[in-house]
Amino acid sequence: MISNLIYEWRRLWSVRATWIMTFVYLVITGLLGAGPLFLGDGGFGTQTWKGLYSTNANVLCLVMLSVVASQFFGHEYRYGTIRLTLTEFPKRERVLLAKTLLLGAYVLISTFLGWAVLGAIGTMAPQDSLSKNGSGWNLNGGEPSELWQVVLFGFSYCLIAMSITMITRNLALGIVFPLLMSSIIEGLIQVFATLAKGKMDWIVEVLPFANGTAWLTHLSDQPNAGLIFAAWVVGFYLIASALFFKRDA
Amino acid sequence: MRIEARNLDKHFRKIHAVDDLSFTVEPGRVTGFLGPNGSGKSTTMRLMLGLDNGGGETLFDGQKLNSHLPVTRTIGAHLDAKFFHPKRSAYAHLRMLGAEAGISKARVHEVLKLVGLESVAKKRPGGFSLGMGQRLGLAGAILADPQVLMLDEPANGLDPQSIQWLRDFLKYYASNGRSVLVSSHLLSEMELLADDLVVIARGKLIAAESMPAFLSRATGSAVVVRSSQSEKLSEILNAQGIASTSDGANTLVIPRQTTDRIGEIAFTNGIALSELSPRTASLEQVFLELTDSGQEYRIGQTS
Repeated sequence: MISNLIYEWRRLWSVRATWIMTFVYLVITGLLGAGPLFLGDGGFGTQTWKGLYSTNANVLCLVMLSVVASQFFGHEYRYGTIRLTLTEFPKRERVLLAKTLLLGAYVLISTFLGWAVLGAIGTMAPQDSLSKNGSGWNLNGGEPSELWQVVLFGFSYCLIAMSITMITRNLALGIVFPLLMSSIIEGLIQVFATLAKGKMDWIVEVLPFANGTAWLTHLSDQPNAGLIFAAWVVGFYLIASALFFKRDA
Repeated sequence: MRIEARNLDKHFRKIHAVDDLSFTVEPGRVTGFLGPNGSGKSTTMRLMLGLDNGGGETLFDGQKLNSHLPVTRTIGAHLDAKFFHPKRSAYAHLRMLGAEAGISKARVHEVLKLVGLESVAKKRPGGFSLGMGQRLGLAGAILADPQVLMLDEPANGLDPQSIQWLRDFLKYYASNGRSVLVSSHLLSEMELLADDLVVIARGKLIAAESMPAFLSRATGSAVVVRSSQSEKLSEILNAQGIASTSDGANTLVIPRQTTDRIGEIAFTNGIALSELSPRTASLEQVFLELTDSGQEYRIGQTS
């Protein structure tokens, strides 16, 4: 298993795209965190450290990580290297486990780096814009997230991106699907549901990213949001795994 | 290491790509894998490596591939000249492939030098020619010095010098007791390279035997005899039920016979021979004879 991880580590970091996307992720995280702090009150109110550290769970940041997540399988299928990988490691469950573990490690490291950037910005922020006490606000809406929630939400988002890539064998779909779902399609569904006057409410209640964000931002009217989001993540991952084991390389 | 492919079978919906295929690849020999386009050679190789799901099994010294660890010390495969990330350097590509067997940086440099890519080791292979891609693929296959090499069309895109180098290398590799299975469309090249042949058409086995045995299948193989007494010899052969045809002055062509047999008859009857030689068909002739009806994608006839 160690050699699987070494293989994936070398595969991940030997491509410049990983470095570039990680850098862009940090820049976007920094800009999103710094904007409200440095551009005056703007109606945001006083931020807290906890609220500031919720910033990198925003979809605009996560889409950068999802690019790298999609590349875990996307590059393998696009360039045919999956056949090299599976010749070297015939046990597919180990290949999948290694990729999943390394994706987790990558998200964790990136999130910590993002917090480091946000921490540096926080120390430079104007005095009145950042408070140690109080509830603060979350860029993603609702209450500030717990730190472990930021990591877990980021990992879940990337896991969906990787799973979509595995299912479709298309790198772009793995990036675009979660982005469009979370930022446009789910919003449109909610609009249609309002117009349908209650007939589509059940759909709204099970939307993956709406529930994920509700869980992340502690929306109290959706107590099962975390479970519903987790079910979606596990569902995508299980389907992708089954296809990965069953299909030809 | 002996490879046994047993009852390999693969369907793509209604197409039977590989049909109950069984053969062995012996250690210490280069085994050529031949078949027309679309005959199932690449699919067979993928089945052998467990990359495609299908029927049958492939055993390496009696065991499945994943029971030989590290796998890359057992088998090195090169299936396509473009199986690399175009922006991952050749060196980084090989470092990645060397993870399972714990290959050192020095070995990576050694292999890059061996295949002639040392000067472009740090360059992105996206701009590599087909021949350079083949070399990189071959470098990946031999990186861990495996017991078995499995190469799919490795000579495509190589210049004549590189083809000769590849031939010498594979012969040397097999001479150390290792097994080499190599597919190729270059029949003249295969004739010089392979000790044994596995020939398939439409996914079915046509032949699995040594090169000489395969060539002797040709209807065109014959013995050529030149003698001032060729007419007398023809009569003697005819009396023994052996047909012969005249091929110019004092020359006979005797199909489906051996030089030993004809020489013995001539000696017994006191006929002096000035030439006694076999006329064997080329690999291309035999291949075309045996696979003509099994061609999946047939080209049109020119008028």
